[in-house]
Amino acid sequence: MFALAVKNILFYKSRSITTFVLIFISTFFFIVYVALMDGAHSAILQNALKVYTGAIEIYKKGYREKGGNEYLIRDVKKIEDVLQNIKGINSYSARYESYGLLAYKDYSSGVMMVGIDPQKESRNSSLKEALSAGEYLSEQPNNCLYMGSNLAKRLHLQLHEETSFIGSASDDSFVAEIFKLCGEFTTGDYEFDSSAAFANRRYLDGVMLSENMASYIAIRVDKLSEVEMIQKEIEQKIESDKYEVVSWKTLMKSMVEAMKVDSIFGYISISLFFVVIFFVIMIFGFINVSARLHEFGVLRSIGLSRAEIRALLFWEIFILASSAVVLATPLGAYVAYYYSVHPIVIEGISQTYKEYGIVSDTINFSFNTFTIFWNVGVIYLLSFLSIVYPVHYVNKFTPLEAARHV
Amino acid sequence: MYRLLLKLSFKNAFARLSRTLLVIVMIAVSMSMMLSIEGLYDGMTNSMVDRVKRSDCGEVSMYSKNYRTSRALKDNIANAQSIAQTLEKKKGVKSVVLRLQADGLGSTARKSAFSTIIGINLVAEEKFGGFSEFLKKGSMDISKNGVLVGSELAKKLKLKVSDKLVFSTQNLQGEITGMALRVRGIIQTNNVVLDRAALYVDTKRLHKLLGLSAQSATQIALRLEDEHLIELLKKRYADLDVKSLLELYPMIQQMQELMKIFNAITFFIVMLVVFIGIMGVMYVSILERIREFGIMRSIGMSYALLRRQIFAEALFVGLSGYVIGALIGYVVLYYLKVYGLDLSAFAEGLESFGYSSILHASIELHYFSATFLAIVAASLLSVVLPLRKIKHMSIVDATKVVI
Repeated sequence: MFALAVKNILFYKSRSITTFVLIFISTFFFIVYVALMDGAHSAILQNALKVYTGAIEIYKKGYREKGGNEYLIRDVKKIEDVLQNIKGINSYSARYESYGLLAYKDYSSGVMMVGIDPQKESRNSSLKEALSAGEYLSEQPNNCLYMGSNLAKRLHLQLHEETSFIGSASDDSFVAEIFKLCGEFTTGDYEFDSSAAFANRRYLDGVMLSENMASYIAIRVDKLSEVEMIQKEIEQKIESDKYEVVSWKTLMKSMVEAMKVDSIFGYISISLFFVVIFFVIMIFGFINVSARLHEFGVLRSIGLSRAEIRALLFWEIFILASSAVVLATPLGAYVAYYYSVHPIVIEGISQTYKEYGIVSDTINFSFNTFTIFWNVGVIYLLSFLSIVYPVHYVNKFTPLEAARHV
Repeated sequence: MYRLLLKLSFKNAFARLSRTLLVIVMIAVSMSMMLSIEGLYDGMTNSMVDRVKRSDCGEVSMYSKNYRTSRALKDNIANAQSIAQTLEKKKGVKSVVLRLQADGLGSTARKSAFSTIIGINLVAEEKFGGFSEFLKKGSMDISKNGVLVGSELAKKLKLKVSDKLVFSTQNLQGEITGMALRVRGIIQTNNVVLDRAALYVDTKRLHKLLGLSAQSATQIALRLEDEHLIELLKKRYADLDVKSLLELYPMIQQMQELMKIFNAITFFIVMLVVFIGIMGVMYVSILERIREFGIMRSIGMSYALLRRQIFAEALFVGLSGYVIGALIGYVVLYYLKVYGLDLSAFAEGLESFGYSSILHASIELHYFSATFLAIVAASLLSVVLPLRKIKHMSIVDATKVVI
């Protein structure tokens, strides 16, 4: 049956070539398209996580819902001791966040003032790498501010100039302090760059009376895939009735949802191509079997059963689909792999989309063997489905009817 | 003669019913899917543009020369009121609103966030963009100390209707000043910039707080009936910064262009594959009837007539698919336009990118006309190759052919 199928494929060249080309293009296109879509989503999420949000964050219960000083973590050291011994945690940083008003000459702006340990934070996020002017915060406690470049622009504040901050301390008392602009950062997240300013924790603790306190602790993990496991372990080891441990999937729910919607639309768009290609393969298959009705009649007359005719046609599509897939898959996988290692760079994307927080100028691809595997599976399935109607059509005829067919 | 030719073409087109139906189904399904996707994507972008126009800049907005870069109160339009009055009388201008904006800090007892206070006149805003349609919760009331809060800002500050907040900023003299506000409503415009930061208050109250005259504003936004007016306004008010929607929101322009490119590529690929499908069927259909064509030629039918008959056959097949596809596509688009595609399950994600959670499709005539032309072209082109074969074959040879 296999030999007969090969012979038929070689004999009916135009049908074979069309089917082969269409399956080849579909496979290649599908692998590359999904790799591009997944890569873009993963890059957006990873960029967002890299900038500031932790893969896991620990809050005192109530802080995320209500906020305020009564929901601050008041024993940071105890939690940090626990985190130190959990495998898979790359780094962590306790952050004290407070909101206030920064003013410089005639200009003022709302600010999220954050106290950080400069060294720990540089391991935990890409804040240090985002330096665009001046210098990053030093280990020595001083009144230096490391400020978003858009915020500095809004305040018309230059490096080494002083700005006044008013806000409230951890005990709700009024706070006023003079800070000096020592460095600016640009993450590409417009809102963040327009509203955040960082100060050395040890200095800010003195101003805010917030020693050993934190709004939350941000944690970076070695592997994002292990987040849930690490989250559970933390929950078991800290006072879970007092604290909540939240993963990035919850912290960045809107972004995760947006990516899901984008994927849905992506699959809807590509399904259009597959529907058309599926029909064309079916039409060519149908034309082919229609033209061979006489041949099938003769085959049935000399003893071949309906099941064997079905097997013959399935062998034909199997050989055509397999040969196309075998060639297209490595090619598609190579493109996906190559661009996952060397992303395409288009200057200016981050500037255009700055208000939407997309921080990268690169177009990333994702290389995942499981994804490629199911992409190929879908193409195989469609190829086999496309031959179902032609097979049904052929088997409707009796051997005599088919043999007489012209 | 032509009637007979058409009759013959019609009969031949449907002589092999199964394969003709397959082609018709292929055209109809792919076309209806393509129209639905195109309409839905356009609808998403159009809805975004519409909301931005209604909630912010209209077709065109005017600012003081330096305001958009400095965002400083001193860069206000001092005679905004009289400019607005002049513009309102101008032919082609539907409505005009004045807005006064100041950046500062919105604070509750527990949280603070960067905010932009916007002084508005509710009656004018209603006429300008149906502002009340953006109300998500509460009531449209900014009297006394009432404030309407952008949905994302409300989320950030954990604000509910009737909660209190304080807004602090600098006035025109550079003094820190503030106002106590009570939330009367939550506004969701799906304009990301506004939803994240806007606090809408009565413009008179804001003028007073900021120490500005009642004549002044930071923005004059216009809804136009005729967009050609934009260039005239730019010339007439050369001392102001007059910007169109797409200049103020370049991302929207990029999105529209990207959507156009995406739709064009989709259209081209689908039509190419459809062409291959029609060609496959027509090619076989013509080649297996070469003897028939030979006989027709030998009894006196000219090649020109034969060609027309074959073109007509291809058109019958293509246009049957088109009519069914257009009908299904229109029904789907109409449903999506009226009822929309409810993606409330992903509301947070969509809204964070400026989309509504219920997506409504657009229906444009050009979807159908462009597809019509493409199907006609694909149908006609699909028979060019077999026709060439017939043309170069002698009548005697054609008559002898046995398939």
